Amino acid sequence: MSKKQSKTQRQVQKDQTRKHLIETAFEQFAQKGLTTTRTADIAKAAKVSHGTVFAHFSTQEALLNAVIEEFGARVSLRLHELAVRNNSLQDVLAAHLKGLAEFEAFYTRLVIEGRLLPESARNAFIIIQSAISFHISQAAEREMQAGTIDPYPIHLIFNTWVGLIHYYLANNDLFAPEGSVLERYGQELLDHYMRLIASKV
Amino acid sequence: MKICIACGMPMKEPADFAMGDTGKDYCVHCARPDGTMQSYEEKLDSLTAFIIRTQGLDKLAANAAARNMMARLPAWKVGD
Repeated sequence: MSKKQSKTQRQVQKDQTRKHLIETAFEQFAQKGLTTTRTADIAKAAKVSHGTVFAHFSTQEALLNAVIEEFGARVSLRLHELAVRNNSLQDVLAAHLKGLAEFEAFYTRLVIEGRLLPESARNAFIIIQSAISFHISQAAEREMQAGTIDPYPIHLIFNTWVGLIHYYLANNDLFAPEGSVLERYGQELLDHYMRLIASKV
Repeated sequence: MKICIACGMPMKEPADFAMGDTGKDYCVHCARPDGTMQSYEEKLDSLTAFIIRTQGLDKLAANAAARNMMARLPAWKVGD
């Protein structure tokens, strides 16, 4: 085997370990909280040494940022595909809900602990929300032009939508103590939101 | 899939790339009209405006978030 091939194999293994750490961190952060989960907890759950975690992520904050970015990439890629394909606003919002539902426990932590996060993690979340808002705006602007929804600034389209979702998620213990908030209320909230912004003419 | 080195946007279709050129490492939103890549200051201003437009944040808060995000992208990275 050539040197180049064995190096590639090492790289593949390194990438796999990184991926495994990120997936494990997703679960641990969701279960134990973003600010309180320690790298040692993640190492234990991933069945790797503590040093392995640090070989990939120099700090807990770096690992948290990587997980937030991975979450953002997965949710926004799907929305990007829908938004550019002339899908309706309702379809794009439904896809947003579906994306969030896949990471509901993690996302709920992100919403609840947002103010407590290190600046870099909070900024990573801000950028993700802007990308999501942009995809929603592409569908919303088409519908504003077509006159099916009333004209609103983009930030209010997004903040009104996300404010509604976040209120339910932040109080998940009251709305759905034993299950998924988004599964239970997602459709109701989406229908309500669409009625709110529908053209009144 | 390529990721824009200047703003992090995933680039899948030729239309996502600067000048529709899939050989470029930066996206259509990070290119000037002549196809060259925007400067740090231009990108910081446009990213700040993008955050304000999409989320309505305060200008200083939006600017700080944009700065922080750019610091982690290959085009602007200054080392860890």
